[in-house]
Amino acid sequence: MLNTAAARRARELGTLVGLALLVILLSLLTPHFLSVSNLLNVMEQTSINAVIAVGMTFVILSGGIDLSVGSVLALAGVVLASALRAGATMPLSIPAGVGAGAVCGLVNGLLITRGRLPAFIATLGMMSIARGAALVFTEGRPVSGFESSFRTISTGRVLGLPAPILITAAIYVVGYLLLTRTRFGRYVYAIGGNEEATRLSGVAAGFHKTVVYVLSGVTAGLAAVLLTARLNSAQPIAGINYELDAIAATVIGGTSLSGGVGTLHGTLIGALIMGVLRNGLNLLGTSSFFQQIVIGIVIITAVLVDSMLKPAPK
Amino acid sequence: MTLRRFAGLLLLAVVAAACGARESSEAGGASGGGSSKPRVALVLKTLNSPFFIDMERGAKEAAQRLGMDLTVQAAEREVDVDKQMQIIENLIQTGIKVLVVTPSGSKEIAPAIAKANAAGIRVIVVDTRVDPKSAAESGAKVETYVGSDNYEGGRIAGKYLVEATSGKATVAVLEGIPGHETGDQRLRGFKDAVKDAKGIRIVASQTANWERDQGFTVFQNMLEAHPEIDAVFSCNDMMALGAVEAIAARGKTGKIRVVGYDAVEDARKAIRDGAILASVAQFPSEMGRVAIESADKLLKGQPVPAEQLVRIDLVTKDQPSGAAAPAAGGGGAAGAPPASPSAASGGTR
Repeated sequence: MLNTAAARRARELGTLVGLALLVILLSLLTPHFLSVSNLLNVMEQTSINAVIAVGMTFVILSGGIDLSVGSVLALAGVVLASALRAGATMPLSIPAGVGAGAVCGLVNGLLITRGRLPAFIATLGMMSIARGAALVFTEGRPVSGFESSFRTISTGRVLGLPAPILITAAIYVVGYLLLTRTRFGRYVYAIGGNEEATRLSGVAAGFHKTVVYVLSGVTAGLAAVLLTARLNSAQPIAGINYELDAIAATVIGGTSLSGGVGTLHGTLIGALIMGVLRNGLNLLGTSSFFQQIVIGIVIITAVLVDSMLKPAPK
Repeated sequence: MTLRRFAGLLLLAVVAAACGARESSEAGGASGGGSSKPRVALVLKTLNSPFFIDMERGAKEAAQRLGMDLTVQAAEREVDVDKQMQIIENLIQTGIKVLVVTPSGSKEIAPAIAKANAAGIRVIVVDTRVDPKSAAESGAKVETYVGSDNYEGGRIAGKYLVEATSGKATVAVLEGIPGHETGDQRLRGFKDAVKDAKGIRIVASQTANWERDQGFTVFQNMLEAHPEIDAVFSCNDMMALGAVEAIAARGKTGKIRVVGYDAVEDARKAIRDGAILASVAQFPSEMGRVAIESADKLLKGQPVPAEQLVRIDLVTKDQPSGAAAPAAGGGGAAGAPPASPSAASGGTR
C-alpha cells in the first residue's frame, strides 16, 4: 500500500507523463504538431481555460464547486467592453470587468457561507443570473469597437512570447504563491479536508471560503479580459460550458472533487492536456463529434487512475 | 500500483492514437502533407445542422471535381466563436492555402481572418459577412463573400405573408441571435416588406437563438401573452419547426400561418403537410460549390468578384421545389432580383 504523500506524488508525475506521451504521440502522427509556432498556438488557446481553472482549483480544493464561471466571464466581458467603448481607459475598464467578476464571486461566497446553500445550488443560480444580466445589459448584442491598444493584450509579444501566455504564467505564479506560501492557502486545504475540524480549531472558515469564491470570480474576470482582447469583441453568450472545461482541467490535474487534495501546477498540466488534445485532433482533421468522445475518455481515465491510486478503504 | 497507473495512461495514448489514425485515413490523408494537391480548409459554424451538411456536400463535390485537398472542420456549437478561432489557428499550422469559413460571429471572426492573412492564406467567407468595421480594426482581408441576400429573402417572406393573409394579420416574429448579421438582415427585410400593409401588426418579436426547442418555448409564451396571433415569421426553419410544435400543442394547427427560412428537409415536409405555409429556400450546397470554385480561381491567380450571391427561392405547397430566381453573381448590395412566388419554375436541384 502506498502512503498518501507518495501516491500524490505518483499521481502528479502521472499527469505529466500523460502530457508527455500525448505530445510524443501527436509529433509522430502529424508533422505540423511539433513546431514552435504551433506550441505557442496551443498555449495561447489554453490560456483562457487555464486562467479560469486557477479559481476553480481553489474552489474545488476547499470542497466546493463553481458552476457560474462561464456566465461570470460573459458578464465581466461585456462590462469591460462597454466601459472601453464608452471611452474609459484600460486601467479603469479592466478593473471594472474583473470587479464585476469579483462581485459575482462574493455573492456566491455569501450565499454559501451565510445562506448555507450548497455550492452547487448557489453557483447554479448565479450561472443563470450572470448570463441573464449580461444579456439584459447588452440587449443580447455583442459589444465591440475599442481603442486598438486594447488588442495588444492578445496580439502583443514580449521576447517573442505572446502576451496571453505571459499573463497566464503570471496568474499561475501568484496563485501558486497564494496556495503554498500563505496561511490562506493552508486554510483552503484544511477546509477542503475537514471543514468542521478547521472551524473548531479557531479558523474563520466562512471568511476564507468566501474569499475562495471571490477569487474564482476574479479569475473568470481575468479570463474575460483575455477573451475579449482575443476576439476584439465581448459576447453576452460567451463562455457557455467553460465551467465544465475548467472543472475537467482541474480534475485531470489531480485535484479531488471531494476537496483537500490537489495542486495548481497539476491543473495547469490538466488544462494543457485538454488544449493539446483539441489542437492535435484539429491538426489530424478529426471531426468535432469525435473530439468530444476523446475528451470524455481522458477525463474518466484521469479520475480512474486517481481512484486506483487511493488506498483501499479499511 | 505503478503498473496500473501506466496501464491507464497507456490506454489514453492508445485511444488518441486510434482515433487519430482512423480519422486521418478516412480523410484520405488530408493531414498527411505529402499530397501535392492544393490544400483548402472549410470551417463551418457547426456540423449538426442540415444547412451546413448540405454546404459541406456541395463543397466536397466541387473539391473532388477540381482535384483539391479539402479539410472540413466545425465547432460543436454554432455560436462558439472562440472554438472556431482555435480551429482556424490550428489549420493555419497545417499549411493550408485557402481558408473558406462561415463566420460564427461577424465581428469576432475578424482577428482569426487577420491571423490567416498574416500566414499568407487567402480567405473566402460564406453565408455570414464580416463586419466591415471589425475587419478594418483587425486588418482582416477577405477575397470574396459567397451567400444569399438575406435582406431580400426577408422581404420575399414578408411580401408573401402580406399576400397570403390579404394584408390582415397579427404577427409574431422569432428572431435569430441578436447582433448576428444573417438574422438581422432577414428581420430588416421582413419588416420593410410588411410596414406598408396597414393590417399587419407585429405584436411580439423575440429571439429563440436559432434553436428548435427554444422556438417551441418562446412561441408558446408569445401565444400565452397574445392569443390573437395568427401568423409567424421565423428567421430560420429550426425555430419555425419549434413554433409548429407549440401551435400543435395548443390545437391551433392550420389556424396560425407560419413562414420560415432555409427550407430545410423537415420544413419542406411540414409545408407538404400544411403545418408551415412557406419557407425561403437558400442553396447551401451551391454556396459550398461556388466557394470552392472561387478558391480554385484564387489558387490559379484568377480574379474573383468581391460578392457572389447564390439564388434564393420561396418554397410553398404549390411550388415544392421553389420558383427559381437566377443568381446575381457578383452583384452589388442590391442583390438578386426579387423572386416573386408566381415566377416560372426553373427546375431547381
